[in-house]
Amino acid sequence: MNVFLQSVISGILVGGVYALIGIGLTIIFGVMRVINFAHGDLLMLGMYATWLVFSRLGIDPFVSVAITGPLLFLWGAFLQKTLINRVLNALPQNQILLTIGLGLIMSNSIMLMFTSDYRILTTTYSSSSFSLGGISISEPLLVAFLITAVITAALYWFLLRTDTGQAIRATAQDRDAAQLMGINVQAMSVLAFGIGSALAGVAGALISPTYYIFPQVGSTFTLKAFVIVVLGGMGSVIGATLGGLIIGVTESLSAVYIASGLKELVVFVLFLGLLLFKPSGLLGKTRA
Amino acid sequence: MAILDIEHVSKFFGGLAANSDVSFSMEQGMIMGLIGPNGAGKTTLFNCITGYYPPSKGEVTFKGTRLNGLQPDQVCRLGMVRTWQKVRPLAKLSVVDNVMVGALARTSSLRVARELAMEQLKVVRLDHKPDFLAGGLPIGERKKLEVARALATKPELLLLDEVMGGLNPAESEEIIQLILELKKRGLTQMVIEHDMKAIMRISDRIVVLNSGEKLAEGGPREIADNPDVIAAYLGERVE
Amino acid sequence: MDRRPLLSRAPRGFSVLGLVLFVAAIAALAAFPSFVKKPYVLHMGVVLFLAIIQGQAWNVIGGYAGQYSVGHAAFFGIGAYVTMMLLELNKTAPWVGIWAAIAAAVLLSLVIGSITFRLRGPYFVLASISVTEIIRLAALHFKDFTRGAEGFLVTEIPTLKIGATEIEFFTKRPFYFAALGLAVVTIIANWAVQHSKLGYYFQAIREDQDAAHSLGINPAFYKNVALAISAAFTAAAGGFYAMFVKFIDPNTVFGLDVSVQFVLICIIGGIGTILGPVIGAMVLVPLSEILRNPKGLVQLGIVSSDSGFVRFIEANLSNAHMLVYGILVVVVILFAPEGVLGVIRRLATRLRRRTPSRGRTEPAATA
Repeated sequence: MNVFLQSVISGILVGGVYALIGIGLTIIFGVMRVINFAHGDLLMLGMYATWLVFSRLGIDPFVSVAITGPLLFLWGAFLQKTLINRVLNALPQNQILLTIGLGLIMSNSIMLMFTSDYRILTTTYSSSSFSLGGISISEPLLVAFLITAVITAALYWFLLRTDTGQAIRATAQDRDAAQLMGINVQAMSVLAFGIGSALAGVAGALISPTYYIFPQVGSTFTLKAFVIVVLGGMGSVIGATLGGLIIGVTESLSAVYIASGLKELVVFVLFLGLLLFKPSGLLGKTRA
Repeated sequence: MAILDIEHVSKFFGGLAANSDVSFSMEQGMIMGLIGPNGAGKTTLFNCITGYYPPSKGEVTFKGTRLNGLQPDQVCRLGMVRTWQKVRPLAKLSVVDNVMVGALARTSSLRVARELAMEQLKVVRLDHKPDFLAGGLPIGERKKLEVARALATKPELLLLDEVMGGLNPAESEEIIQLILELKKRGLTQMVIEHDMKAIMRISDRIVVLNSGEKLAEGGPREIADNPDVIAAYLGERVE
Repeated sequence: MDRRPLLSRAPRGFSVLGLVLFVAAIAALAAFPSFVKKPYVLHMGVVLFLAIIQGQAWNVIGGYAGQYSVGHAAFFGIGAYVTMMLLELNKTAPWVGIWAAIAAAVLLSLVIGSITFRLRGPYFVLASISVTEIIRLAALHFKDFTRGAEGFLVTEIPTLKIGATEIEFFTKRPFYFAALGLAVVTIIANWAVQHSKLGYYFQAIREDQDAAHSLGINPAFYKNVALAISAAFTAAAGGFYAMFVKFIDPNTVFGLDVSVQFVLICIIGGIGTILGPVIGAMVLVPLSEILRNPKGLVQLGIVSSDSGFVRFIEANLSNAHMLVYGILVVVVILFAPEGVLGVIRRLATRLRRRTPSRGRTEPAATA
């Protein structure tokens, strides 16, 4: 029972960060109907930014969120305005290929600059944990989870309570109608891509104390983000939040009860099953 | 014996009935007009008959074969083919290639398929443009291409879904002549059309659908004088 | 209007000119090693032929049938692993083992097809990626069977005896001819498929699946046929790759970037044509090979070994040759979504339009 509880809790802690990654992707998809295959690479950029400011300036990864977030926001907004915007009406496969290409450019540029060596960001607390009722809780993961929770809450507030947030949601619901209502759809797209990238970057910062940092790290997270987003229903922020938690827990349970090397495989098998039997996601209505 | 029997066909989407309890049958060689206000369930009925959706209730029998559960390609091979209200040319293929795709349902030889395709293009009077890209044709010719492609599958029953929609009077007249010509060759046809004058001219019998239900059935004269039908159409005009 | 696929332009048999050019190109390429013996050039030739096979193979399902698989590494990897494992564990010669590899890939394609073809659009893309990831992760995990990340190394390829001649696979030369032969077979097979009922049906499904369905085509069945054909040639390419490179592990043959490479070859050249993958491979391979190993240019005498160019590339780009892929795909999607072939056609049409004598006739068969 303890093992079970233990793995559920660490699953939830990791799942919080997954949720952040998923929310970013789902906002981008919702507003633009573009599947961003470079999402994991944006996260990778966040990791490298965090590693850089940590190793050069000694800034703590959890503090550097305040730097990586805005940085990635600007980068994402730039990508959307200059490149992605041009393919909004193109075939979906061309959109996918464009973002795949951008991902390759990002990961290989990083490789050029920092080689493909694995980097480790060792903080004083990287491997520290404390025990709570017999269950050990990793400190960096807990802090990451708490920051995630704050950011997610702020994001919900932004989307639900502010005019701009409402405009983004309106655009996601019906682009044409939003345009007719006088919403600047172009600006919303830039904003959405910026927010999505910022969330990926922040997630990258949050996991950098506990993960290896290398140029190709992104693709795993891109795939994971797809699973999360489809699970929650493409475009649904609440769905992505839940999806992230579910994937986190699934991974940690299958690592314990099946085999640690198979935890991702289990996730993909579940994903395939989901695609086949309920492609609109767990929360989604099945559309004809 | 009837070539097509539609018995108590209903189709529900969620709680909504797009067709409810529609029954009628068609004799060999006739033209059946299918009319009704927008949203009456005409295209849904086409989809149910040709296998795009299985009917929720009821049965469709074609040449004595029960169609429920058969896929559109199987229905086509049995000899029933439909055209689409919103034309669906295979845009990046040439005109003759489009029609050949239909013909290949009956032969595996490209040479035979090409001959068959050219024949059908002659029937619809598109044989002067075999090498044009289908996606670049004007609407009138795309409608004709749609018919030629369907004819190339050698159907015994042709379902035409608003082939005259969006055409100018001269083009519509051409299509009417085409339909009558096909009838003369013995082809059975079911025609969805909005243009009342046209439908009255070509149909042997007419079925009127309204809100998914069969409102009336009869010869053109009968239908034109039917007070329920007039009311249904007046209703549409008011909105 | 002028961007028609080759098939609909000349389906009435083959053009004599095209056939002559094709045969001449094969003859020239076959004679090539008699004049140029530099291993680097032959190496690049092999990689080029391999890329052509990969592109042609993907083109069947992606270009003609319109199903954008981003999971072809599954078939490539199965081809590589079956050929390799039969050789290493069972001493089966690769020219025998490759048939088993092809059979395994075709079987796998039927499984994958029956799962993924129920989905359309982006969902299909995601499913094709997931299936391949599942295979990669399984290959990494079940070490007893696959040796996991350790991978397989070719110890020795047996001598091939054809009549009295004995062919030993020590140098690049036999690989060059084998790859050329395989590429020619692939191109001819693809040409034959596309100029048959199958080719028409694949394209009909690509253009409009519902319309195709109404015209007597069973989309699920024909998509599976297209995928099986595609998988067969992909597996052959994978088996050949394993023998040529002599080392495989799950990440090099089942990785996502392998799948992406298949798509890129076609996208860059021009999708849905026989010529497209050839052009795509001709653009991609030299670029990425030079970046991967700039020393080859020294061997060719094009640049000297101490040139700043070589040193720059070696120092900076050799482990980031995928960067070129990335830049190329972005440029192509933004500026030439129909690929290099599309650009050439557009230029050709523009030139033709300037010639007043033929300017006005507008049947689509212009290019």
